[in-house]
Amino acid sequence: MSNDVEIQEGEAENNTSDSQKPEKMFTLKKWNAVAMWSWDVECDTCAICRVQVMDACLRCQGENKQDDCVVIWGECNHSFHNCCMSLWVKQNNRCPLCQQEWSVQRVGK
Amino acid sequence: MSLKPRAVNFEEVWGDLVETVQQVVTMGSIKRSVWNTRFSDVYSLCVAFPEPLAERLYTETKKLLENHVRQLYFEVEEQSEENLLAEYHRFWIQFSKGTQYLNHLYSYLNSQHIQKQKFSDADLTYGSMQMDMSEQLLEIGELGLEIWQREMIRPLQKRLVGVLLMGIQQDRTATATDAPTSTIRGVIHSFVDVNMYKKKSTLQLYESIFEGALLRETGSFYRKEASALLQDCNVSQYMECVIARLAEEELRATKFLPPSSHQRVVKEVQDRMVADHLATVHAETGSMVSAERTRDLSNMYTLLRPVPNGLTVLVHHVKDHIKQQGLQAVTSLKGDNIPAQFVESLLEVHKKYRTMIMDVFHNDQQFVGALDKAFESVVNHRGNTKVVCRSPELLARYCDTLLKKSTKGLNESEVDDKLGHSITIFKYIDDKDVFQKFYARMLAKRLIQQQSQSMDSEEAMINKLKQACGYEYTSKLHRMFTDMSVSSDLNQKFNEFLKSKGKTHELGINFSINVLQAGAWPLGQTSITPFAVPQELEKSVQTFETFYHSHFSGRKLTWLHHLCQGELKVSHSKRTYLITMSTFQMAMLLMFEKVDSLTCNELQTHTHLNDEQFNKFLQSLLDSKLLMTDGEELRGETVVRLNTDYSNKRTKFKISVAPQREQQHEAEQTHSAVEEDRKLYLQAAIVRIMKARKLLKHTMLIQEVISQSRARFAPQIPMIKKCIEQGSVVGLQDEEWASVAYQAEKIHLFALIPLSLDYALSSTQFSVIPRESKTCAQLATVFVKNLISSTQSTSF
Repeated sequence: MSNDVEIQEGEAENNTSDSQKPEKMFTLKKWNAVAMWSWDVECDTCAICRVQVMDACLRCQGENKQDDCVVIWGECNHSFHNCCMSLWVKQNNRCPLCQQEWSVQRVGK
Repeated sequence: MSLKPRAVNFEEVWGDLVETVQQVVTMGSIKRSVWNTRFSDVYSLCVAFPEPLAERLYTETKKLLENHVRQLYFEVEEQSEENLLAEYHRFWIQFSKGTQYLNHLYSYLNSQHIQKQKFSDADLTYGSMQMDMSEQLLEIGELGLEIWQREMIRPLQKRLVGVLLMGIQQDRTATATDAPTSTIRGVIHSFVDVNMYKKKSTLQLYESIFEGALLRETGSFYRKEASALLQDCNVSQYMECVIARLAEEELRATKFLPPSSHQRVVKEVQDRMVADHLATVHAETGSMVSAERTRDLSNMYTLLRPVPNGLTVLVHHVKDHIKQQGLQAVTSLKGDNIPAQFVESLLEVHKKYRTMIMDVFHNDQQFVGALDKAFESVVNHRGNTKVVCRSPELLARYCDTLLKKSTKGLNESEVDDKLGHSITIFKYIDDKDVFQKFYARMLAKRLIQQQSQSMDSEEAMINKLKQACGYEYTSKLHRMFTDMSVSSDLNQKFNEFLKSKGKTHELGINFSINVLQAGAWPLGQTSITPFAVPQELEKSVQTFETFYHSHFSGRKLTWLHHLCQGELKVSHSKRTYLITMSTFQMAMLLMFEKVDSLTCNELQTHTHLNDEQFNKFLQSLLDSKLLMTDGEELRGETVVRLNTDYSNKRTKFKISVAPQREQQHEAEQTHSAVEEDRKLYLQAAIVRIMKARKLLKHTMLIQEVISQSRARFAPQIPMIKKCIEQGSVVGLQDEEWASVAYQAEKIHLFALIPLSLDYALSSTQFSVIPRESKTCAQLATVFVKNLISSTQSTSF
């Protein structure tokens, strides 16, 4: 264990004058949070291209358009890459997983 | 004077002409007016009426020249050996010049009479075999030289060559020569010039009568010289002598010989002095290389380069030496900052030999290759086969220390320089994927904890890696970068959002966030623990989530509290401190707001942390002396108290958690992650290859897999074999293809079988058949047989 000690010693005096006020013992000044986002999906892989939905579909990976490859949800709550699905519905307007008529619930952004 | 043909008395005109011709060939003086009239004489003879007298003119002139040369020959022949060359040379100059003028004088005869019946170029090139060259009439200049060759050189040949060789010998031994250089040179060149009118093989005479003899003479001279030198000096001195000799001989060649011979003479000397004694030189190579005697090595390089395969031994020794030096530099590293020691001492060795190869071996590709090979084996050296090679990790750590904020005070350009050099080492690493994993982890840490010295340096380094390994290699690193810039954008928008909402939404703290894309960041899953967010942070979390969901759709956020950091103002003791710490530590300290002591149980129940994380972070607070306990051990009922006597001379600092133990753990994790990635990579490579090739020998398949993956790592053959075998059972089952091994005529062949075929057969003819079953294998066999006959490849 080590105490990584750094910078600025001069502030001590100022702070003691502050502490004379009736103040909380611990005050939170700053918070650098880290969070991770992922698509809110039931299944991690896109059933059409077999790539994880968090990664771009193969077509977009090949064309280097990773950032534009989003996810689409149907009314059946099944989700796929938007690009994969748009190709799929040209042939068959049903959800590949449950065979229900495909209608879009929402598109990821 | 009329140009019209007229009757001419041959004797009369010839009588005048003879006199002039004799003057010309002896380079006597002729009046211009006489010279001019002689042209018309030649002309009038050639066009004489009724019969042209050209033929007679030709034979008479020939006779005259023959007589003249014979006469000269007798004069030369009488000379003693000392004067032979001088006399020959004097007459040669005179005669060769004379015939040149004569050629002009007879130009009408040449052009009208002789050229007509002369063989054309085409005849010489394509049909000269049957033609009798001696019957042919020659132009007067050529005729003169031809006669000289026949009447002068041929009979004198032996003596001339003897004397010439003697002269050159004297020049070699630096004794006074009988004839001056210009004479020797002139005589030698006369053998060439005597054929100057010929269209091809002008050098034939020279080569046959002189050059061969000269080379023999040279050879035997230097053979003796070489063995004499080797008797009384060592290889180093010997090489010096040989180089001097070669230079002398080259100079001599330019002094005496026509250009075509220069190379040959030098080569003869090389053969006799170097190639013949290769073993002797090679015997010394090892010790010279290990002592790094640059002058000797440079000499050796100069001497051995022209000899076929002469350098192989030297190259080999150099390679071994560099390898040995490199290993010596990196095997016994001790103490602090091993990554920096490792990389910098390797670079030092590299630079040293790079310059040596440049200075001593003139950047010869063979030596550059040897350096690369040597470094490859040093960098990828493993003490024994059980342990993993640490170089990728060390190099990544080295880059990490350079890119981290530090107090070392290197400026940006120095850092960039050092990073640039580390690419040199990176290129030698076999396991580039291991480096990538380590680098990504450290980069993630730097970015999240805001420890990067400069984003420009970070980006420059990634671009360097991209240059070395291609886009795909760095794509994940790039995604991490994108996340950072997206996050800073997001923070700005969030702050604007807060302002617009007014007082009710004030968070009371300085809030900033990094939102990372799942999958792009190499964050270990191990540190994830349940955690109750302290009350003070709840508002921030909720407000941000609302904001985020209004901004994006279809996304969910997972808070990575183990990576969050906060700044806490602590004023429970005499002074106030501003302490940077992790969220977990913060949560525990905040519980002491109202009370001075709590049991471990209370702390843990409140924070919901799991045992491992709880103990780790509580221990770090105890170590920082902010909290204290009575006992050493932490048990459920142990009471933890706030240290009201806390003092630290700094008022702003940071508490962190032991990095050492994590490093070891991290390394193991990384290596096992790499192993998994490799399996996938190999399987993908197998499918790629098989889709393209359809049918392949087992060994060929392995070769191709190795060559495809070489840019990333050096795959172990057993691992490839395992992946091939597993292919039919596990990894590829979801794929369109499955692979099946097929044993035909003792050759192990491989083919991918379309799964559709497999399904079709199994569903129509048989009910459900497990894929490994015999029937399935038979179907595969039929398929492969058909494939073989359809490809009709002879290579199997």
